Amino acid sequence: MAFLGLAVTLVGFLVAVSSIGVASSNGIRLVLVLVGIAISLGGILGILNPAYQQHAVWKR
Amino acid sequence: MRRGILAFVLVWCFGSVAAWAQTPAPISAGTTITDAAAAKPEDKAAGDPAGTVTGTAADIPLGDAKKGLTLQDVVGAVGQNLIATNFVWTLIAGFLVMFMQAGFAIVETGLARAKNANHTMMMNFMVYGVGMLAYWLIGFAIQMGGVGAVANLGGTAPLNSEFTIQLFGKSWGLFGQKGVMLGGATYDVGVMVMFLFQMVFMDTALTIVTGTAAERWRYSAFIISSFVMGAFTYPIFANWAWGGGWLATLGSSYGLGHGYADFAGSGVVHSVGGVTALAMAIIIGPRIGKFNRDGSPNAILGHDMTLVLLGCFILAFGWFGFNPGSTLGAAANGNLRISSVAVNTMLAGMAGSFSTMYYMWIRYGKPDASMIGNGFLAGLVAITAPSGFVNPLASVIIGLIAGILCPLSCEFVERVLKLDDVVGAISVHGTNGIWGVISLGLFADGRSNYGGAWNGVPGSVTGLFYGDAGQLVAQLIGVATLIGFVFTFSFALNMVIEALWGHRVAPKVELEGLDIPEMGSLGYPEFVLKPEPPLVTVPAAAAAR
Repeated sequence: MAFLGLAVTLVGFLVAVSSIGVASSNGIRLVLVLVGIAISLGGILGILNPAYQQHAVWKR
Repeated sequence: MRRGILAFVLVWCFGSVAAWAQTPAPISAGTTITDAAAAKPEDKAAGDPAGTVTGTAADIPLGDAKKGLTLQDVVGAVGQNLIATNFVWTLIAGFLVMFMQAGFAIVETGLARAKNANHTMMMNFMVYGVGMLAYWLIGFAIQMGGVGAVANLGGTAPLNSEFTIQLFGKSWGLFGQKGVMLGGATYDVGVMVMFLFQMVFMDTALTIVTGTAAERWRYSAFIISSFVMGAFTYPIFANWAWGGGWLATLGSSYGLGHGYADFAGSGVVHSVGGVTALAMAIIIGPRIGKFNRDGSPNAILGHDMTLVLLGCFILAFGWFGFNPGSTLGAAANGNLRISSVAVNTMLAGMAGSFSTMYYMWIRYGKPDASMIGNGFLAGLVAITAPSGFVNPLASVIIGLIAGILCPLSCEFVERVLKLDDVVGAISVHGTNGIWGVISLGLFADGRSNYGGAWNGVPGSVTGLFYGDAGQLVAQLIGVATLIGFVFTFSFALNMVIEALWGHRVAPKVELEGLDIPEMGSLGYPEFVLKPEPPLVTVPAAAAAR
C-alpha cells in the first residue's frame, strides 16, 4: 500500500503538470492543477500514511 | 519704450549666452578629468575628522597614469562600485542567513528533552557541514549550473549549461551542469557570491527536517539523509524555480503570469524542508509515549522555553538576510525595494505571532509560548515568497492567516494524521510555505520592478486580486510539484535509507536519551534527569536492532 500511495502522489503531480499541455485556458488549467493537488494529497494522507499507521507502535 | 525693448533684448541675449556657456560639453571616453577639489597628501596627513577629504577623485584608480583621470576610469569605477555594493549586500545577507542555523539549533534543542540536547544540537551543527559538502560537490551545479548571467552580480556567465528536454512543444530545463566543486570557469567572483548565498538557503531547508525527527533519529542516518537532500532533493526543485528550470519558464513558455515566482523561498526552502519533514515523520514514526493505545496524543514538553523563544528571535533577525537579500543586490534594477521587502517581512512575523496568540488564548485559555513562537515563524515563512511583490497591508493579512494555519495544521498533523512532529516543522514550514506560494498568486500587486522583468517576462508580477489569474495557476503548479514530486522523491530516498541503514534508534536508546549512546556525552552532564514513564510499546523495527 505504501508504494501505491507513492504512485498516486506522483500521478497527482503529473496531472497538474499535464494541464499546461492539454489546455490553453487558464480556467481549465486551474481545475486540472487543483485536481492534481487533490490526488497527491489523497495519495499521502489517504493511502501512504494510513499504510504506515496500520503498524504504528502505539497500536500494539 | 524703445529703451525698455532694447534693455529686454540685451538681457535676453546675455542670459542666453550665459546659459550656453554653462551647458556641459559632451565628454568623450578619452577625455582627461581633473579634480580641483582633490585632497593633497598633506591635507590627508593632518587627519580627516569631518570626512571631507576622504574619498575623492584622487581615489579612483587610473587606467593610464600618463593620461590622468579619464571618463573611462570614472565610468569603470561607477560600474565596479555598483557591483561591489551588490556583492557586499548579498554576502552580508548570506551571513545573516547562516546565523539562522543558530536559531534553528536552539529552537529545536529547547523543544527537545534535556536527555537529547547534545544529539539535537549536534544534528543542527553538522547539518551545516554535511549540507555544504553535498552542495559544493554537486548540489550547486544541479541548482544553478544553467542560471545564466545574473545582472546584479555582474554576470555569473560561466553558469551557462542547463539540461533540457522538449515537452509540449517547449524546452523544459531539468538541471544545471556547470559549477561542480566550483571548478573550471565557475572559479569566478560573481559565482562565489551566488554559491555562498544559495548554500545557506539550502542548509535552512535541511535543518527543518532535524526538528521533526528529533529525539529518535540515528545520527548516522541523519548524516546520510541530509547529504542526499543537499545533493539532490533541494537542488532539483531549486533549479526548477530559481535556476532557469521549467517552473520559472511557465510564464515565457505558456503565458502563465511570470512563471512560478518565489521571491525568497517559501516553496524552494521551507516547503521542500516541510514536505521532507512530513516524509520523515511517516517513515520514522512517533516517539515512544507520544500516543496512547487509543491514539490520543500526549504532550511531550521541551526542556527550555527560553531557548525556544530566543531562537525565534534569532531566526527573525536572520530573515532580514533571507528576504531582502534575495534581491541579490541593493543598487540598480529596482533593488531599492529592499526596504519594502524588509518591512513586509517584519510585519508578517508580527501578524503571525498575534493571530496565533489569540487563537491559542481563545481555544485553550492560555497563550501558549511555543505555539506563539511557531506562529511568529509561520508568518515569516509565509511572507518569504511574496515579500518582494506585495504591499504592507497584504503582508499583514498573509501573516495573520499564517498564524491561524499554524496551530490548525499542528492539530491536524497530531490528532488526525497521528504523526509526531517535535517542533511543528511540518506546519510551520510545510503548510505555511505552501500558503506563502499561493498568497503570492493572490496578493502580488504589480508594483515591483526588478529590472523591468521577472523570469524573462516583461512587467511586474501580478496576482489574481490585481488581475492576473495565470500567476495563480503557475503558483499552484509549483505547489503540485512540491506535494506530488518533491514529497515522493524525498520519501523514496528515505525509504531506501530506512531499508539499507535504518533511521530509528533502538527503544532502549530512545528511553535512555540519545546523548550518551549516539554522541558519547550528555548535553547537560550536571543535570539530574527525571526517569522516563514505563515503556508501553516498542517499535518492532527498532526492537529488532
